[in-house]
Amino acid sequence: MSLMDRYVSEVEKRLPRKVATDISAELRSTLRDMLEDRSRAAGRPADEAMEKDLLREYGAPDVVAASYSPRPYLIGPRLYPFFLMVVKIVLSVLTTVLVITTGLQMSGGAPISPTELPAAIGNALTAVISAAIQAFGNIVLVFAILERFVPASEFKLHEEKEWDPDLLTREPEPDRVKPWEPIIAILFTGAALVLFNLYPHIIGLYSLSEGRGAFAPILSDAFFRWMPWINLTWLLEIGLNLILLRQGRWQPSTRLVSLVIQILQIIVGYFLLTGPSLTAITPEALSAAGPLTVEAARTITALIQQVVRGVILIVILLGALDAGKTIWRLLGARRQAIKANM
Amino acid sequence: MTNTLWFQNAVLELRRGVILIAVLTQLSTQKYGYALLKSLAEKGFELDQGTLYPLLRRLESQDLLDSSWKIEEGRPRRYYVINAEGKRALARLSKEWAGLVTTMDGILSTDRRQK
Repeated sequence: MSLMDRYVSEVEKRLPRKVATDISAELRSTLRDMLEDRSRAAGRPADEAMEKDLLREYGAPDVVAASYSPRPYLIGPRLYPFFLMVVKIVLSVLTTVLVITTGLQMSGGAPISPTELPAAIGNALTAVISAAIQAFGNIVLVFAILERFVPASEFKLHEEKEWDPDLLTREPEPDRVKPWEPIIAILFTGAALVLFNLYPHIIGLYSLSEGRGAFAPILSDAFFRWMPWINLTWLLEIGLNLILLRQGRWQPSTRLVSLVIQILQIIVGYFLLTGPSLTAITPEALSAAGPLTVEAARTITALIQQVVRGVILIVILLGALDAGKTIWRLLGARRQAIKANM
Repeated sequence: MTNTLWFQNAVLELRRGVILIAVLTQLSTQKYGYALLKSLAEKGFELDQGTLYPLLRRLESQDLLDSSWKIEEGRPRRYYVINAEGKRALARLSKEWAGLVTTMDGILSTDRRQK
């Protein structure tokens, strides 16, 4: 294999497969033309030194290959403003929640001596920073996927659109989907999917007792038995939001899918609420793990059970409210269609 | 004036816009990339291969040029030629360029008179 062939093959390796053969054939032909010209000008046959000079001037293979590809973006300028907004919201909420929960855990546990305080603060800070980095990584991943699968036309830069002053007086459109709404829904549902399926063991109460960390899981097996159904509603939710992101508007079909998901969530919520206890924490385990008396642990356990049931009840009520709204909008669309046909 | 980096970049920026016009005008007859480079260089418009070849591909994907492979002197060569859409684009760009030159001449001559 000649030096030139090696060079062309190095460039070809770095090119997108679809165009690699074509570009490398053209490159080889150009290099031969150039070498011939040089040999003619020098009045002697081309040799290795001449070839080396030519390749050196033509440039490093990676630079040559890069000149054929537009600059690749992980997150392009169209999605970047939404990305920035989501990062700001998620990181500020996450940091606030983590700081509050860590503070509560530290104050609720055994008293910390002044010598232990720097280490405890350091641990808490490390936990906050590592959670923030993980959240940031997940957001980048979701946006990088969206960048590749959502058509560019869905996200036009402001300067690309002609701004219309009538926008200021426009009536709200209930069917219009703001791009950040499905993005946030996808992010949070995706995070819940990952948390409940891959890291269910970290959902629990953490406490610091006599310098040792203790952990008690909150949710019982009765809750996790429902995970396939909960996963189904979450996956449907992500699918629906991806469609909404592409279409930019609610259609009767997407409203119907949304209604099915909401009804499914209400049914699952009902069974969770009326079924066996969803919490795994027992007063005995709680008092053994921390400095609490059995009586205090019993009160806290009852409180946690009420909180979990309260959350499910709120989910059911909000789901019912959303389902009602969806039915109302579906009927509204039907009324409009009948009116238009009259 | 010294050839500082900003100056080189400014010249590059100035040329970037007109490269397209220069290339399109030369492709009224079929030419392969290297022949096009030489023809532009003969007219005083030096261009490097790293700029020309990606530009030719971009123009073809924008449907302003057509291309075909031919075997010549024992090697395959890709020939490019301007198509109808490219000719329309070139006419519009040439008009823009003429307008720009007139405007800039006006601005520069006013500036010279004031000095």
